[in-house]
Amino acid sequence: MIIYPVLRDYRSIFLLVTLLAMLGLFIKPVSQQYAPQYNFTFVVDITRSMNAADYKIADQAVSRLEFVKHQLRALLHHLPCSTKIGLAVFTERRSSLLFEPVEICTSYTELDTAISKLDWRMAWAADSNIAKGLFNTLAMLQKSHSTVVFITDGQEAPPVNPSYLPDFAAMKGKAKGLIVGTGGLQAVPIPKFDAQGNVSGFYQQDDVPHRSSFGQSNLDPSQIEGYDARNAPFGSKAVVGNEHLSALQESYLTQLAHQAGLNYTRLTDLEPLQQALQSPEFSTQQLAPVDVRGYFAAVALLMFCCIYLPPLSSVWHWFRLKKTKDNVYVD
Amino acid sequence: MNLAVDSPWLLWGLLLNGLPLLNQGMRLHDQPWLTLLPVDRLSQALSLLLKLVAMLVITSLILGLAGLHRREQSRERIGKGAHIVLLLDRSNSMDDSFAGRTPEGREESKSSAARRLLTEFIQHRQTDRIGVAAYSTAPLFVMPLTENKIAVEAAIAATATPALAYTHVAKGLGMALSFFQDQPLTGSRSIVLVSDGAAAIDKDDELKLRAWFQQHQVRLYWLFLRTANSPGIYDVAQDSRDDNAQAMPERYLHQFFSSLKTPYQAYEAESPDALKKAIADINELENQPLHYVERLPRQDLSNACYVLATVCLGLLLAAKFLEVKKC
Repeated sequence: MIIYPVLRDYRSIFLLVTLLAMLGLFIKPVSQQYAPQYNFTFVVDITRSMNAADYKIADQAVSRLEFVKHQLRALLHHLPCSTKIGLAVFTERRSSLLFEPVEICTSYTELDTAISKLDWRMAWAADSNIAKGLFNTLAMLQKSHSTVVFITDGQEAPPVNPSYLPDFAAMKGKAKGLIVGTGGLQAVPIPKFDAQGNVSGFYQQDDVPHRSSFGQSNLDPSQIEGYDARNAPFGSKAVVGNEHLSALQESYLTQLAHQAGLNYTRLTDLEPLQQALQSPEFSTQQLAPVDVRGYFAAVALLMFCCIYLPPLSSVWHWFRLKKTKDNVYVD
Repeated sequence: MNLAVDSPWLLWGLLLNGLPLLNQGMRLHDQPWLTLLPVDRLSQALSLLLKLVAMLVITSLILGLAGLHRREQSRERIGKGAHIVLLLDRSNSMDDSFAGRTPEGREESKSSAARRLLTEFIQHRQTDRIGVAAYSTAPLFVMPLTENKIAVEAAIAATATPALAYTHVAKGLGMALSFFQDQPLTGSRSIVLVSDGAAAIDKDDELKLRAWFQQHQVRLYWLFLRTANSPGIYDVAQDSRDDNAQAMPERYLHQFFSSLKTPYQAYEAESPDALKKAIADINELENQPLHYVERLPRQDLSNACYVLATVCLGLLLAAKFLEVKKC
């Protein structure tokens, strides 16, 4: 029998195990494992207040919209490859879906370019009612399996009459998503642009309405100066306020998030945003093939290296040989 | 070659290649005095060969573990095709049927007919680069010119969501023309304007558009989805007082397009079938030689490494059986 003496050498055993490991590698290269999958639709507020510059990139003041674009593009590198991303823009009372979610890895260039081209001039109307916008967006994307990520500063123009807010009760629990508040808490002026797209100053106090004058007033008529039920339901006095300045309306957005059953986070840096997005409630567990060849190959490598490790016996053998040699010289 | 690895730190493992140099990796037999044996070139060569094979096993295993691959490459090719920008009208009326009312039952809205047929169209255009822009009151940049058909389909599918406001065609055309900036001039370039209405273009915009169409050498196809009983692009005014761009924007837009110095073709479609014919026609026309860049996806080479390692292991095992045994 020829096999038997071969097996008496431990090296043969290691070599066989190595080969077996490689055999295993080719038999089962992938294993099906559950992995979280994400599907987001980013809805970016492109109303004028998003032009307010209260963020910084490399010590340069940039507008909220620029910062959002910068962070979203960076995010493409940090989300798992299989994540699908769609893009929509919000203005007026609703949002427009630009494209349905596509996979980051296969469509990276397209996503990156599309995000970089987001512009406030895409707005098809100039006012901004965030509660209705959020409501309509959630309704529009309800049938898709995409998580809505609504990125806004919460600044509404003209100011909304609180008696006419949409009722999120029907939506609560059905929709999942995230509201991302952008902007600083300090109110800053909103730049104004001319027809050529150049900055031509900032919005002044006289440029914008400072209260809602739509529908019925929610105040007690006896308290309103110059009240007339038909002609001046909000009174005759001109109201001045700070609506020409814009700051992140965080309390309003958290309240909206609470009503609609969404999460809220403030946009500061990439990491908190990424953590908020990769929350388990936004992921679906899907069976995906995972490459397990590495485990087999590692075992094979380990076994194979053992063959060539100088074994203790051989070290001892070498010493003994040397001693014998020395003896020879002595003789 | 463009070779790369996923985890470069694993390449430190290549130091393990020193092991076969230090150790024979086979059973040694004591000899009284090696100098007694004659120099055997063949044995020396074999011993070196076995070491090399062992080093090859270690190297290929490490490279396989590190995830050796060839990076995504692009290859320039010549084929038939075009650079096409689809310019889609997102005004409210696109959600009505060709009869001009909210679609009922089996009726198809203008936008859904356009969506279905355009999706079919791009599936037939394998070598084209296609971009998507949309417009209503303002232009929307949707998808850059790309070979990625999945992304283009996702952009076309998104028009299933409710449409926006009014029609401002001049801005939309400006946006579509901007896609051709900084693009190599090869093959034919065209804009496919899909709309169901028109708007007057003011003189300033007319001048700019005229210059841009000529500068970028872009052809224009206008798929006009005509609603029943609405003015068409070939209509002539009954009353000379109505013969102006405000009253008959379709006719005047058509006249403006015809006066461009680049080729222009209008299709007036009053039903999904007519739209289908128009799209088939464009499909025929847009087949000029085109330099295009074919993307070769990333190629995984780790499996090749593992195969090489296994073959070498087989050789070593065979050599093992040839070893001299002293029982």
